[in-house]
Amino acid sequence: MGEKNQAALSIREEFAAKVKADNRREKLMKWAPVGVLAALILVFCILKGSSFLSLSNLSAILNQWSLPLLVALGLTFVIMIGSIDLSIDGTVGMVGSLTAIFVANSKNTANLGIIGLLLAVLCSVVIGFLVGVIHVKFKIPSFMVSFAFMNICIGIGMLSYSGKPATIRDPLMMAIPKASFLGIPVITWIALAVLALCFYIQEYTPFGRHVYAVGTDETIPKAVGINVNRIKIKVFTLAGFCYGVAGIVGALRLGQGQIAIGTDQMFPAQAAVVIGGTALTGGKGGVMNTVVGTLIMTVLINGLTMMGVNPNIKTGIQGVIILIAVIFTIKHGATVISK
Amino acid sequence: MSRKNILFSAENITKSFHGTQALKGVNLEVHEGEVIGLVGENGAGKSTLMKIIIGVQPQTSGEMHLRGQAFQPHDPLEANAQGIGMVYQEQSLITTLSVGQNIFFGHEKDFMRMGVVNWKKMYAEAEKVLSEIGCGDINPRKRVIDLNFATRQMVEIAKVVNVTKEASADGKCLILLDEPTSVLNETEVKRLFQEIRKLTAKGHSVIFVSHRLDEVLEISDRIYVYKDGENAGNMDVADATEAVLYERMVGRETNTEYYHLDKQVIPEKEVVLEAKDLGCRGKFKHVDVRLHKGEILGFCGVVGSGKEEICSVFCGDEKPDFGELFIKGRKVQYSSPYQALNDGIIMIPMERMIEGVVRGLSVEDNIALSNAGKLSKGGMVSRKRVSEQALEWIRKLRIKTSGKEELVIQLSGGNQQKVVFARVLASEADIVILNHPTRGVDVGAKEEIYKLIRDMVAGGKSVILLGDTLDECIGLSNRVLVMRDGLITGELDASVDAKPSQVSIISMMV
Amino acid sequence: MKKLKINKAYFATYFSIAVIICLMLIFTVMEKSFINASNINNLLSDTAPLMIMAAGMTPVILLGSIDLSIGAMCSVSNVLVVSLIMKFKDTIYADWFIMLVTFLTTLLFSVVGGIILGSIHAKLKVPSFIASLAFMSIWNSAALLISSSPISIPKKLWGTIEWYKISIGPLGYPLIIAFLIMIGYYVILTRTPLGRGIYAIGANERAARMSGISVDRIKIAVFAVNGFCAALGAIFLMAKAKSCAPTVGDSFTLMVISAVVLGGTALIGGSGNILNTIMGVFVVSIIKNGMNIVSINVYWQKIVFGLVVLIAIAINTDRSSRSFIVK
Repeated sequence: MGEKNQAALSIREEFAAKVKADNRREKLMKWAPVGVLAALILVFCILKGSSFLSLSNLSAILNQWSLPLLVALGLTFVIMIGSIDLSIDGTVGMVGSLTAIFVANSKNTANLGIIGLLLAVLCSVVIGFLVGVIHVKFKIPSFMVSFAFMNICIGIGMLSYSGKPATIRDPLMMAIPKASFLGIPVITWIALAVLALCFYIQEYTPFGRHVYAVGTDETIPKAVGINVNRIKIKVFTLAGFCYGVAGIVGALRLGQGQIAIGTDQMFPAQAAVVIGGTALTGGKGGVMNTVVGTLIMTVLINGLTMMGVNPNIKTGIQGVIILIAVIFTIKHGATVISK
Repeated sequence: MSRKNILFSAENITKSFHGTQALKGVNLEVHEGEVIGLVGENGAGKSTLMKIIIGVQPQTSGEMHLRGQAFQPHDPLEANAQGIGMVYQEQSLITTLSVGQNIFFGHEKDFMRMGVVNWKKMYAEAEKVLSEIGCGDINPRKRVIDLNFATRQMVEIAKVVNVTKEASADGKCLILLDEPTSVLNETEVKRLFQEIRKLTAKGHSVIFVSHRLDEVLEISDRIYVYKDGENAGNMDVADATEAVLYERMVGRETNTEYYHLDKQVIPEKEVVLEAKDLGCRGKFKHVDVRLHKGEILGFCGVVGSGKEEICSVFCGDEKPDFGELFIKGRKVQYSSPYQALNDGIIMIPMERMIEGVVRGLSVEDNIALSNAGKLSKGGMVSRKRVSEQALEWIRKLRIKTSGKEELVIQLSGGNQQKVVFARVLASEADIVILNHPTRGVDVGAKEEIYKLIRDMVAGGKSVILLGDTLDECIGLSNRVLVMRDGLITGELDASVDAKPSQVSIISMMV
Repeated sequence: MKKLKINKAYFATYFSIAVIICLMLIFTVMEKSFINASNINNLLSDTAPLMIMAAGMTPVILLGSIDLSIGAMCSVSNVLVVSLIMKFKDTIYADWFIMLVTFLTTLLFSVVGGIILGSIHAKLKVPSFIASLAFMSIWNSAALLISSSPISIPKKLWGTIEWYKISIGPLGYPLIIAFLIMIGYYVILTRTPLGRGIYAIGANERAARMSGISVDRIKIAVFAVNGFCAALGAIFLMAKAKSCAPTVGDSFTLMVISAVVLGGTALIGGSGNILNTIMGVFVVSIIKNGMNIVSINVYWQKIVFGLVVLIAIAINTDRSSRSFIVK
């Protein structure tokens, strides 16, 4: 709005115009992630041409996409309520480690098959539940609880195989990572199934609606008699489930259970959720935003690897991306208080 | 107008917080299908009564009746269940959800089928609710973020109507609207009023609380005026004009002694603060102000007139978008109150608990907050000087405390405010902005604070005052600036023998 | 109420002392060698880096902020200092001069890093946990880029890091430095305008700002010093191990935060005493050393510290106000 224009408007109109401009900006921001994804694909197509678009690379991207997607789906709900979960590296790694020792493996005689997988997921569900309960009951910030649990889970995971990772010997489970259906890897199908589940929860259950409300302003759901604490606990439990599935997928893909399955899972997930448009302050975004966000991260990492960028720089890049995405989406101004 | 059945009544409601009486016995009566306007100055007790009716806080004494039965809600849910709902000043819609989802928020279970929420059914139901209050043209599938504020207000009302009407025996409900027009522009206000009319045509009742008398006069059937927590009259809208209402709202004549008029001094010629064409987008603009040394300059205006924002700019808390600010002849641009304090400007903020004191620190530490640097030698703060300073101000301002080490949280409101004054005086700033300095302070402490302000000016300081009441602003100031909708609409001399009347100022405020 | 507050402050001290005594008894019963001179010596010298980093972290938490990048900053400084030494070791300069220059460069780097983090937090209003989380990944990456594997310091330079072993009575040189830094910070926190500002910001940032306290500048300064402390800790670690590793700091983040909250500093900010952090440091240090001595699996240690930090925070958090929203 120009200086001249300003003189003609009344303060009320000016205020309304400001709100309108904010809304417009917000709508634009909503589509920005899709634009970023398109731009990235375009850039890599130009730079790498056919090798980027080759069928094998696209399949590789889908394969690489599945694990971050699973993790980020769980994290999406946590961030939507305005909390955060730093336990990811630990939980995913722990479930990965446990998976291998629950099913037929090189280390022990356990051969629980599918039940073993369920048991492994159950472990991370319990961890998620505990994070939630401790967070709401003891009023400890979620980042702190989950940070502590990251360490606890890494400890549990490493203890479970004490130095020598178990190799998976179950023939069915050894076959899964190589199998594909309709040209899409089975592992990706698993991720898509969880995606469908999360989408259903977000869109078609009261819980999904309440998650948005808790993130927007806790006092609103409280005023209509919704138990906010229970919603938060459910969210962390659901996140635990997603991390658990991610852990299993990681173990199956590696063919072996070790804590490294979870290493460096958190940053891409954090970055993907935020860059997809789910604000750290909560109440905004959703599962579909995360789909776009994870695709951006996966394509970016895939492209950078193809360009021969030092792999050690990747986590750093993710950190920078998180920072930029947060700075863009956060409320600024001298009077804002951030701790 | 024919009188219908009485829907709700409140008799002799009182409410006291920590010894100060917010309500001293007020009455309210609402008939079916009626819009009641509720007006009063800041602190008159309007919001307190609303909170009591909706069950956010209980009254100290007095009774309420709903449809002839005793009514005493313990929380908003209970009030809703009996047919009373409130639309809060801050919007309580979840903007990322759709209209229908907001209306039925918390009641989704009613639409569950095989583990899935049946959105179709919910939207059909939402359409019904909306058309019931006369807003059939709002699409319940639209997301709230895409609606303008007037429509949002109607959605809020629909939400409230939905929860309340089912519960109430006759399907008639009472909706409390607290300052619903503060975020709306003129056309949106018009539209909101149309919708309220449709609502009352269906037999629902509304209590409309607002600072804007023109709007109250336009929408209400009957108007209640409160003043200092007491009834100051109620009348049919036909008998009311803005002037009549204001007289009732204010109704007290300036008391010479109360404001220590004998101590009012004539300011010097020297200009210490000057604003030229100052403006903040959407808040205020074209503001020209000159503050003279030794002057008390009062700002009058309703909430949202922009006076608060101007003070924020003066004390460095916010940056202006346009114009220039000169302090003692030097052009300045502040980005924090720290810089402003270096030039000798400081503000006593309105929200004492949030902005004024650090409650977890002791009295002496609070007093030394703004001038720790001046109390130190070689980078070390002298504990001795901190406590000496505290003792000095506790004595001078007669702060009632068990000792300088007492935590501020344990003092009464008036004494906390005195601690803030002590801090500001100790900072040796010579331009002091007083933003509602007597808010939440009892009468005795008020008078002491008035004397303190007079003494400050006598000591060579200059003061910008945002009075808690109009009376206070006129009584203390040398000069009064009146603001409306972000513009300065008038400037009045307020020297001892020429104090302007409140009515003359009000005519410029609304 | 006032009485209650004071009691609480003492409680933290007494509680820590009681915990320390209990822990020492338990470990001694489990393994006699815990209490012998060489292990106590070892314990004390091991404590130094942790104490320095906890000294830096205490004011950060007093502000109500947090720095999750402290461990990563320690790692990157650790690798940086050694790689700089390796770069200069064959030049004509005297060994002590090389050491001095590399130390100063590393410390400068860490201060600049802290200033950047502090500025992003204070000026751009990014919550400290997320800003520091991002920096954690950046520093980790940087550490791996500088050197992806451990480097040992060549024997010819060992002489210049012998100072680490010097001790006065039972206290080693490094621990004395750590104590001095603690005391220095204690003086700053209790006796200077800066310290008063830190407490005021932690207790009520808005009121602090309106009182004319330079909030942004204080926050940035605190993060800068925190970076400095991390780097100093890293230098001590290097001197002790005579080598560096790009992941050396990983475990420190949790230990440092544990130590600070065990010392009674509330995560919400505004209350706590840095001298109590010393107690917290010893609790952590004894747990760590004791677990090594009684040969508890190293993986257990992560679990134990995770639980310790949760319990410490749970004890310290004031849950009385129901309306208080924690995210």
